[in-house]
Amino acid sequence: MNKTEIITWGILIVLTIASALLSGIQSKFTILLIIVISALKFIGVAFQFMELKNAHVFWKAILLSFLIVYTMLILIII
Amino acid sequence: MKTASNINIKNIYYPPGGILMWIIIYLELITFSLALLAMVYYSFKAPELFHNSKLLLNPTYGMINTIFLLTSGLFMALCVKTLKLKNKQKAKQYLLITILLGSFFLGLKVIEYYEKLEAGLNMGYNTFFSFYWMLTLFHVIHVIVGLAILTSVYFGIKKETSTTNIDDIEASATFWHMCDLIWLLLFPVIYLLF
Repeated sequence: MNKTEIITWGILIVLTIASALLSGIQSKFTILLIIVISALKFIGVAFQFMELKNAHVFWKAILLSFLIVYTMLILIII
Repeated sequence: MKTASNINIKNIYYPPGGILMWIIIYLELITFSLALLAMVYYSFKAPELFHNSKLLLNPTYGMINTIFLLTSGLFMALCVKTLKLKNKQKAKQYLLITILLGSFFLGLKVIEYYEKLEAGLNMGYNTFFSFYWMLTLFHVIHVIVGLAILTSVYFGIKKETSTTNIDDIEASATFWHMCDLIWLLLFPVIYLLF
């Protein structure tokens, strides 16, 4: 019954630990990975836990647009 | 308690949790992201200061707090799902676990803040710590408000003759998940990047 939520949670935890471990390595590629991982976690929470996957496409598009713009700006500044 | 909702969340005017809640979420995300972008911009101007300041933080606290919030988010989602299946008893348990994990988050934050203040790393210490305190405290306020809402929902659904309906609970859950989303933006920038 709750398989999807539990699998999502498992992936989110693994990604959190992975990003924390990656932060010990100093390189541009690590920064890119940490930002991409955090974007994936953001999508996981929004689409699975907040049920955005079942919402109108407008709400999905606006959240993804925000995430893409924010991620790109962070990567450009860094 | 009313458990049935006739709202079709595929409708553009009825996203899960309600349109007003989603407007708040977007405004909050824009506010926090602008502050984070400003922080990243300042780090570009003074990379050494930001790197040395980041080393004064304990990323393990940040990671454990992320795990607390993500796990509470899981139980919140399970609570809403269980309520929709009209299993009130189980939903109450899930909601209690959600509140407990949110409280653990606050507890660990208090320990972290205490250590920082003891070491003299207050808001005026440098630019990094100004951002650190401003952003994390603003988020903590959201978590406190979220916990107050969830506690009121818990006592609301506990009553036999409750007027709390599933839409109210979904809106509260959406607010709680918003705290998750904001933290997922804060954690990498404050604890991991510089």
